[in-house]
Amino acid sequence: MVNRGTLMAEGAEAKVYLTRLIGIDAVVKRRLSKRYREEHLDAKLRSERTKSEARIMWIAREAGASVPIVLLVDTHDIYMSRITGAWMAELLRKDIVTDETLEHSGTELGLLHSADIAHGDYTPANIIVKPNDAAFIIDFGLAEITQSTEAKAIDVLLMKRSLNAAQYLAFARGYRNSYKDAKDVLSRLAKVEARGRYKTRTLMTGSEATA
Amino acid sequence: MAVLGIESSAHTFGAGVVERGGILSNSKIMYKIRSEGMVPMKVADFHVRNARKVIEDAISKAGIDSGDIEAVGYTKGPGLGPCLRIGQISAKTIARRLGVPLFPVNHCIGHIEITRQSFGMEDPLVLYVSGGNSQILALDEHPFRHFKVYGETLDIGIGNMLDNFARAAGLVPAWGSKVAEVAGGGGYLQMPYTVKGMDFAFTGILTHAIKMLETANLKDVAYSLQETAFGMVCEATERALMLSGKAELLACGGVAQSSRLKEMLGIIAESHGARFAAAPNEFNADNGAMIAVVAEKALRSGSRQEPPIINQKSRPDTVRITW
Repeated sequence: MVNRGTLMAEGAEAKVYLTRLIGIDAVVKRRLSKRYREEHLDAKLRSERTKSEARIMWIAREAGASVPIVLLVDTHDIYMSRITGAWMAELLRKDIVTDETLEHSGTELGLLHSADIAHGDYTPANIIVKPNDAAFIIDFGLAEITQSTEAKAIDVLLMKRSLNAAQYLAFARGYRNSYKDAKDVLSRLAKVEARGRYKTRTLMTGSEATA
Repeated sequence: MAVLGIESSAHTFGAGVVERGGILSNSKIMYKIRSEGMVPMKVADFHVRNARKVIEDAISKAGIDSGDIEAVGYTKGPGLGPCLRIGQISAKTIARRLGVPLFPVNHCIGHIEITRQSFGMEDPLVLYVSGGNSQILALDEHPFRHFKVYGETLDIGIGNMLDNFARAAGLVPAWGSKVAEVAGGGGYLQMPYTVKGMDFAFTGILTHAIKMLETANLKDVAYSLQETAFGMVCEATERALMLSGKAELLACGGVAQSSRLKEMLGIIAESHGARFAAAPNEFNADNGAMIAVVAEKALRSGSRQEPPIINQKSRPDTVRITW
């Protein structure tokens, strides 16, 4: 049996522990059982999502994206290589993020989208920056294989919301350079941003239409 | 001095009177749903016939005189247009005759506020689940104080989904509570499961469940449908609870009457150290008192007067919470 190690992070559906596997530093993501949920449904969701997440990480890796290497997949656990570096969210908070990093974060998303992977939660909290400015993407818990321009546009939107205009330009440059259909996604993004539902949900300005 | 509230967004015509937050009366009458579901014009006709009786009953039960009414609230939406119109006209008429201010009230905010008030919750994460609506909300101060929507249904309300299934399965009455009744002792069958972040969708699972009725037995389908749909809503709620960091969880709306859903939400709240409460059934059902509660808060906090409109798609996150 592998040592579970120390708790590193806790999300709504999983806990992440630091551990070692076959002699290297690793992390293990364990999907938790939910006591509120019907037991068969719970078992099904946990195992299907674990399998799907591991599979998508493999596809991302094959597409040349910088993601942790999947080392071992168990029923509810994914063991993966440990990425050390700074959280992009932290660098943004301190305002010390470089243009190279921003561009890399766009390049990486472009590589994912080229492989028809929508990340589902592409925010600076899920990007680790190495000392050489390279960006690594983590947490594929909400990722899906899809050709949907909408899903891809939402990945870009989440990132755009976390960046200022100049930072977004650097990010978008990287994205355009690594994904040939970037133009379609960005024009879809403009539509998503203009859409009423997202307007009321994110900006919540104005008065309602009169009936 | 008291405030009168009128609710007519769907099958219920209700009138309630409150005074300083205390509920003096809460009268209502409900249109009996037959096999075809709700036909908006028929329900509106029913409301027309009963409006006067229900309002008079609320005023007399409150033990007040019409001269004691200092403001009138009505449901502006969301809801069925023809039904909303009856409540609006009744409220306008009374307010004009008494010469008192009129407050259009968002139906969802009514459910949330009467429940929040009765449990003394300051800042809960709210799961509002009813026939037409299914949303996860919490107070947010930016850009103004309002209930921010964390997640919601991308298609139909969960109650509507359960009612539709009940109708297809020939259950009488065709309601979600009847689905819960026949689900007892059922076994689990695979169902589509749709959660996207903190949003969810129900048309896929509804279509699937109706098709399954041809081959599987009703008990198992009903059980699986209910467990899966509640599981979806609960997963999104748990995610929102963690993200928002709120210490209170509140359930309201017609579907919050389900004991199984309350049990599941209770477990979630407990595992995050949050306090959980669900509205009493009297307030989960549509009612006039909740509209009066919001109208009174609006009056006392000096909300600006809105045009007396109805809006079938009125969203709770556009309402300024001035209290």
